[in-house]
Amino acid sequence: MLTAGIDIGSISTKAAVLADGRLLGSRVIFTGYNSEAAGKKVFEELLEELGLLASAVRRIVSTGYGRSSVKFVDKAVTEIICHGTGAHFLNPLVRSVIDIGGQDSKAIVLDEHGKVKNFAMNDKCAAGTGRFLEVMANALEADLDGFGEMSLKADRPAGISSLCTVFAESEVISLIAKGESRVNIIAGIHESIAARVSALANRVGIVPPVVMTGGVAKNAGVVKALEKKLGVPIEVSPFAQVNGAIGAAIIAAGLR
Amino acid sequence: MLTEFHDALKDPAAYGKRLKEEGGRKVVGYFCSYTPEEIIYAAGAHPFRLFGAGDGIHLADAHFQSYCCSLVRGALEGALAGRFDFLDGVVFPHTCDSIQRLSDVWRMNVRGHFHLDVVLPVKLNTDSAKAYMTDVLEKFRNDLERKLGTSITEDGLKKAARTFNDIRGSLKRLYELKSENPGIVSGADLYAVVKASMIMDRDRVVRLLPGVVRELEKRRGTGEGEEGKRLVLAGGICNHPDVYRVIEEAGGVVVWDDLCTGSRYFEEVTEGGGSPVADLAGHYLARPVCPAKHSGLYARAERLVEIVKEKRAAGVVFLFLKFCDPHSFDYPYLKKALDEAGIPSMVLEVEDRLPSEGQLTTRFETFVHMI
Repeated sequence: MLTAGIDIGSISTKAAVLADGRLLGSRVIFTGYNSEAAGKKVFEELLEELGLLASAVRRIVSTGYGRSSVKFVDKAVTEIICHGTGAHFLNPLVRSVIDIGGQDSKAIVLDEHGKVKNFAMNDKCAAGTGRFLEVMANALEADLDGFGEMSLKADRPAGISSLCTVFAESEVISLIAKGESRVNIIAGIHESIAARVSALANRVGIVPPVVMTGGVAKNAGVVKALEKKLGVPIEVSPFAQVNGAIGAAIIAAGLR
Repeated sequence: MLTEFHDALKDPAAYGKRLKEEGGRKVVGYFCSYTPEEIIYAAGAHPFRLFGAGDGIHLADAHFQSYCCSLVRGALEGALAGRFDFLDGVVFPHTCDSIQRLSDVWRMNVRGHFHLDVVLPVKLNTDSAKAYMTDVLEKFRNDLERKLGTSITEDGLKKAARTFNDIRGSLKRLYELKSENPGIVSGADLYAVVKASMIMDRDRVVRLLPGVVRELEKRRGTGEGEEGKRLVLAGGICNHPDVYRVIEEAGGVVVWDDLCTGSRYFEEVTEGGGSPVADLAGHYLARPVCPAKHSGLYARAERLVEIVKEKRAAGVVFLFLKFCDPHSFDYPYLKKALDEAGIPSMVLEVEDRLPSEGQLTTRFETFVHMI
């Protein structure tokens, strides 16, 4: 049976199609202004890529902050539940998920069946989110995709003490003016995100093995800084960004 | 049936003003459910509970740092904006630090009405607490008599105790009906009744409530069969009726609470037996405590766990005003007690407005799914 998951996030929209518990394919696009249109578009593009007709897909579950905006789905489920399900699907041993998305970050503890046992969500500000990284990349005139690699070359990560994204941006600008190297500033930014997110993770009491999901998981610098802060290894799957969509597709398969 | 309650809440200040102009009664504003409203009522005045502003705080920021809660800042905002000019007096009970500082700032910056502090005891379970509380209430009675130019009689106090007992009894009955049949009334409607009962003319409230009880009794069994997950809401004041709707839409239903705009207000009534003031003192010692008071090291946790078990709730939602330090200090030990009893919980911190609804929904839906 074919099922699909559509994860409409604040920055990107993801889709995944599963055939009887096997991942057929996934796709990521920018969400833009209209989350409903983005949900529809990513789904159609993925179907085209896989050479499938929409009618072949039996069940669809949407997730992410835009989950209720798409009407052609069978059910909308929160991204916390979907990330838990997705992480469990990719590695059933995983007990904790750290999901850093565009506009918020979440720490999720799972039981042995992949069910959410506890969670915490930073929904107060952009610090410790993908948006924070975007703002910083802009201030540094650097390519966000290269952030992870660059930060691994740092010899002395710069200290960034502001919690607020806007103030942290000013701090970064002062560091540039002082002549601090770009790699050290980027490493400092990653440490600042790790400090935010590890506080969240410690609050829910995460247990290893830990997996990181969401778009920010693609940034090796953040993952490394977070491993250091939490003192546990963090696994990142190649499907980190589409993990929520995969979870949604699995939940779709379980719908009656 | 509930229109009158909802109407009063649309613009509480307009309601208070009208009551004063049409009823010719003095209106005394107060903070916190520890204010002995009975004594204000017995003085022939109208006790009018003050809540936060709810529509932006600007003027108060010149007097309070941002670490004061939005209730305190919002109340001062309302006073500085002149929205409480109709009040004849304002009463500040000694509860949390911020309410005490609010009293000071108010005294220096808000003119036009009398100002009374009621310096209540903090430890309520000591041998001397009863005598202390009785003295404080007796002093409050004398102060009010002087400020209002009236006398508060023993009979007046007895009648006041009866009126408020009846109100509390009806509110409790409404909660029980809702808890037994969650579908018969929405959380937001029930909230409106409780909150309006702290604002409206109590003689009117005491007559209206039995009608509401009868109506809900009639609805029993005819409810839509609400199948939501049963939740207990715990915290300070709730000034956010939308919370109930968001919880209900996420598949939950609030079946009881531990709020000062809820069960802490009505759970206990005033028993007779002594002098009217001593009886009232007994009531304020016996009612469930808030974290600004003390009645045993584990009293609050034991009560919360008991509520959850008795009301067959599946989890607890803590609703805290941001920067409310008494509640934040109590939270870790309450959470621990719930964890030990195997009761899941989540925290929601709010200011004068709710956080963005999308994220709120995500958290509630996940929590309801989790429990």
